[in-house]
Amino acid sequence: MTAKPLWRQLSSPAWPVSVRVPIVVALLMVAISIAVSNRVLSRLEVTQERNLNQLASAYLDGLSASLIPSVVREDVWEVFDILDRSRERYRGLNVKWAAVTNSENRTIAASAPDIFPPLDALPAKTVAEFSLTDEVVTDERRNQARMFRSLVYQGREIGRVYAVADISALMQERSEVLRELILTNVLLTVLLVAFGYFFMRRMLRPVGLLSAYLIRSREDTMTPIPDMVIQSQSREFRDLFARYNAMTEAVNEREVLAAGLAEEEKLASVGRLASGMAHEINNPLGGMFNAIDSLKKYGAREEVRLTSIRLLEHGLAGIRDLVRSTLTTYRADQRPRDLTPTDLDDLRILLKSEARQRRQRLDWRIDFDVPVHVPAIPVRDAIFNLLLNACHSSPQSSSISMMACTRGGEFIAEVSDEGSGLPSHIKEYIERKGAGSAPLDRRSGLGLWIVKRHCDELKARLEVVTSGNEGTVIRFTVPIVSDEFEYAA
Amino acid sequence: MTGNKKVTVFRPDRRTFIRLTSSVIGLVSAEARASGQVLKFGLTPVFLNNDIELLGKLKDYLSRQTGREVQLVQRRTYEEITSLLLSGQLTSAWICGYPLVQYAEQLSLVAVPLWHGEPLYSSYLIVPKGRAAADIADLNGDLHAFSDPNSNSGYLVTAALLAERRLRPEQFFRQTIFTYSHRNVVRAVASGLAQSGSVDGYVWEVMASIEPELTAKTAVMRKSELLGFPPVACLASHAESEGVLLIRQALLAMRGDPGGQEVLKLLRLDGFAEEPLQLFSPIAEKMRLIRGLTQ
Repeated sequence: MTAKPLWRQLSSPAWPVSVRVPIVVALLMVAISIAVSNRVLSRLEVTQERNLNQLASAYLDGLSASLIPSVVREDVWEVFDILDRSRERYRGLNVKWAAVTNSENRTIAASAPDIFPPLDALPAKTVAEFSLTDEVVTDERRNQARMFRSLVYQGREIGRVYAVADISALMQERSEVLRELILTNVLLTVLLVAFGYFFMRRMLRPVGLLSAYLIRSREDTMTPIPDMVIQSQSREFRDLFARYNAMTEAVNEREVLAAGLAEEEKLASVGRLASGMAHEINNPLGGMFNAIDSLKKYGAREEVRLTSIRLLEHGLAGIRDLVRSTLTTYRADQRPRDLTPTDLDDLRILLKSEARQRRQRLDWRIDFDVPVHVPAIPVRDAIFNLLLNACHSSPQSSSISMMACTRGGEFIAEVSDEGSGLPSHIKEYIERKGAGSAPLDRRSGLGLWIVKRHCDELKARLEVVTSGNEGTVIRFTVPIVSDEFEYAA
Repeated sequence: MTGNKKVTVFRPDRRTFIRLTSSVIGLVSAEARASGQVLKFGLTPVFLNNDIELLGKLKDYLSRQTGREVQLVQRRTYEEITSLLLSGQLTSAWICGYPLVQYAEQLSLVAVPLWHGEPLYSSYLIVPKGRAAADIADLNGDLHAFSDPNSNSGYLVTAALLAERRLRPEQFFRQTIFTYSHRNVVRAVASGLAQSGSVDGYVWEVMASIEPELTAKTAVMRKSELLGFPPVACLASHAESEGVLLIRQALLAMRGDPGGQEVLKLLRLDGFAEEPLQLFSPIAEKMRLIRGLTQ
């Protein structure tokens, strides 16, 4: 695995801004330091070389003027005396040694006579180290500057001056400047990084505050930021916090509205349920009254009496089933319990009147026969809402299917219809995580919103298996709770 | 016109002419003295040169003692000072014993310095410190530093030593150099430029107390016998002139004068004394020795 480049790592949101900015500052400082140090050192080097050249030139000029008469006479003592005195006079140049030769490169005198004795030829190795031009040659490795001057008298070379200066002081100055630059830059960088970190932390504190409020709003209702806190912020954050508060207010209002709508929907559902129940009860009632009339008129006749009683029994049994399902479904004092196949069978009864109005067929397939350890009431409520939506979105005389099973530690319910498929925004709403915090819009999708809220509570998944002209299949998957945990109250 | 009136024409004889001329010159000289003729005192490099304080004090002392304006005249070589003295351009000069014996007929002694109570000093043969050399024979093939070709201690003594062996310096040494200062001889040997040198023993000893770090780099290999200290001389013809007399008196009185004592203290000398010319006979002997070899 190859490491990411540094700039990519610094761009990565994995690192907090309060760390990334100081690092960027440090990197910039290091880059600036390198550039500045390089510039300063190169300028220093140029200045030092210029000064060295000027000093060497002055030294050689002065020396040449004094030396020429003595070199013409090849006066050993005078040449030595001039060299010896010049060392003191040009102390700034720090001459290590200087040798004066005649035109045959034979030493007349040197400031270091023990190394270059008078009358001896100057060693070829020594001569080879000099450029034999007026240019000063610096040898940084040996901390030396080598100078050369040809002594010309009446147009003829009568001798040569070879001199070596010690430039260790210049080198030391360079290294001291470099050391001071590094030290200063390191100190500046550390200070700037510390300041950067400190100020970034301070500047980002409002962002942290806003983030905390947003996190809290995800777990609970959205809380506005107090005015006192807002007033203590800078102008841009005051605006941002004010917008957050406005958004909080809007969201809270929307939630209140959505709750109201849900209540209306509930009442509408109750109305529809009551109407359906009345219808379901009314149907057998006609037959039952007919049976009672038959009993009144022909009750003496046994076959009439038995038929009428059977009809009454059937009618009452139908009413009893309906009442029992309704009671089971909407009983107010229900406690969390496991889902049973009967719960899903009851949904069929509840949905029957809706389906009958649309002449829709209900296909039920329940592939489990023992209670499943998932909360029965919200699961059944969610499936019921999905079934109601399926009824509404399917054409007349179509078929609505419900399949339920358990698989891999999960309870799965699939609701199918033969409608024309889901609009894209509804499909997106169904599959979006956390969508249960608000309904799809103000006047529609409340059923789906209820389903999404149950999904959030149950940590369940809702997915669109297929959606198109041939119909829609929505799968509702609920993780089966292990035995150690009880349902949340 | 009766009687012959004898007209006497003044015709001085040669002696009278000279006497008269001398009287006229004497009158002119007296006039010059009365007007404060400058006394010119020559100094050679035997002297510890470049000592501004010493020169100042010497000039002040001589001026005060003689009552005349005194001008100190310095030149680089013995030859130059000797020439000035011989040509009458100096009242007197502090020269060396060797020029004195060279021009013994033209020059006359004024006074001789006393060092350690005696008008004597030695010539030293010096080598770099640590060099194993015990005899002049060990110096064969050296680059040898002399002070001045007219110096007794800085040339003549060593040349005479070689002459005793029938050798001349240019034969014995690989090369000889003249530094025209005894101090420079010490510098040349101390720096290693010269492997040996001939130097005034008085100068070396005084330097040993003033610049011990320089003399410490040298070692005295040989001290010559005691010879006449470099004297103050004048033209023999001016030996009785007032200027010379004034300078002699000033030099002889130096020991008893506080200002003079200061000068003597700087010079590390005890005073000046009148000495016979025979004091320099050994030097004259050496001169004859090398002249004999040369001829």
